[in-house]
Amino acid sequence: MKKISKILGLSLFISAMCLPLVSNAQLMKGGYFTADWQFNAPVSNDYANVASGWGMAFEGGYYVIPNMSLGLYISYHTNNKYIGEQVLHLSDTESLYTDQQHSLYQVPFGIASRWRFILDEMFEPYIGVKLGAAYTRMESDTQVYTYYHDRWGFNVQPEIGLNFFPMPINRVGIHLALYYSYSTNKSHVLTYNIDGYNNIGFRLGLSF
Amino acid sequence: MKKAIPILLMAMAFIACQKDPDLNELSSDLIVYTSHDKGANFGKYATYAIPDSILVLDDKSKPTYFAANDPRTTAILGAINSEMKTRGYSRVYDNADADIGLQVSYVKDTNTIISYASTNPYWWYGYDYYWPGSYWNPYWWGWTPSYTYPISYTYTIGSLIIEIIALEDANPSTKKIPVIWTAYMAGILSNNQLNINRTVTGIYQAFEQSPYLQSNGE
Repeated sequence: MKKISKILGLSLFISAMCLPLVSNAQLMKGGYFTADWQFNAPVSNDYANVASGWGMAFEGGYYVIPNMSLGLYISYHTNNKYIGEQVLHLSDTESLYTDQQHSLYQVPFGIASRWRFILDEMFEPYIGVKLGAAYTRMESDTQVYTYYHDRWGFNVQPEIGLNFFPMPINRVGIHLALYYSYSTNKSHVLTYNIDGYNNIGFRLGLSF
Repeated sequence: MKKAIPILLMAMAFIACQKDPDLNELSSDLIVYTSHDKGANFGKYATYAIPDSILVLDDKSKPTYFAANDPRTTAILGAINSEMKTRGYSRVYDNADADIGLQVSYVKDTNTIISYASTNPYWWYGYDYYWPGSYWNPYWWGWTPSYTYPISYTYTIGSLIIEIIALEDANPSTKKIPVIWTAYMAGILSNNQLNINRTVTGIYQAFEQSPYLQSNGE
């Protein structure tokens, strides 16, 4: 606990020291960058449908017209769930007794676009959509073996968000977004199948 | 192309960011796998034979055993015999009178992969024969047990394997005896020693998840 407190304290100190360095200008005129902590809940499958905060999201872009941007995004997230002892009927002739830790790991990335409704104000609401690829790992851990299935697919993420700039001229602020994410990946581990990854969640972080 | 390298490196870094699940949360050390021949009629068998020692699979050139008077042997064979009796099978001591035979093997320090495929049937990978030194080994019988069903698994150090071979269905022309049931349990070690209680629990679980193992008593 003390170690975590030290790391958090050090992170806050470094952030505070760095803010003035970037606060006088955007990283690039007309551009933006967000770095977020992510809270994600898989829906429509019960394999590892326990919401968690084990993820981050990054996005950078450029406003090609005053209201609309184009950019790139990448995020990663893990959701885990414990499954108690049970007998899995692997086939007509095979059975396996074990307990498991289920894990879903998702890394979507690709092209992002935003439409912001208000410019250069303290509050900057926007809607956005992300399109790209998604890497997923569906995993089951037992005490002895790890079973997993890696897949690639397409990803789409509609998003609504808000940038809050306490001092609009500095363009350093807080970013909050709600999102829905769908990936076309199909995975199979032991007796479990996932046909498409559906997620909802929110992101909270810094916007430059 | 050079510009793509940092992007690829970043993508690889993200792929390595998975939060590992807490394996300490796994309450059970035990996993039990069973597989059987779908075509086997377990009900028609009434008697079985079982060696009074347990084969220890290791890297030694000569087979070693848990002897008959070893407490590990007593506990393991006791649990198996108890379950076989409950399922209606009678133990016989003359192999010629047995419908089925049981092989019990403890994997001490050998990682052995068994696989079955139409192009590579029957044998334990890495061995020309059935388990070297097994009671049902061709050295003893001139016959060799063979798998009649697909099976693919990785056996780890500290695991126990129980198999049933159908002596009654041995093929005189091919000299092969079909293996009709396999039970494999791992996670039975504590402090690098065989945990008897956990092993016996695994044996009971193997029978529990194999309800088809039932003699009609004919």
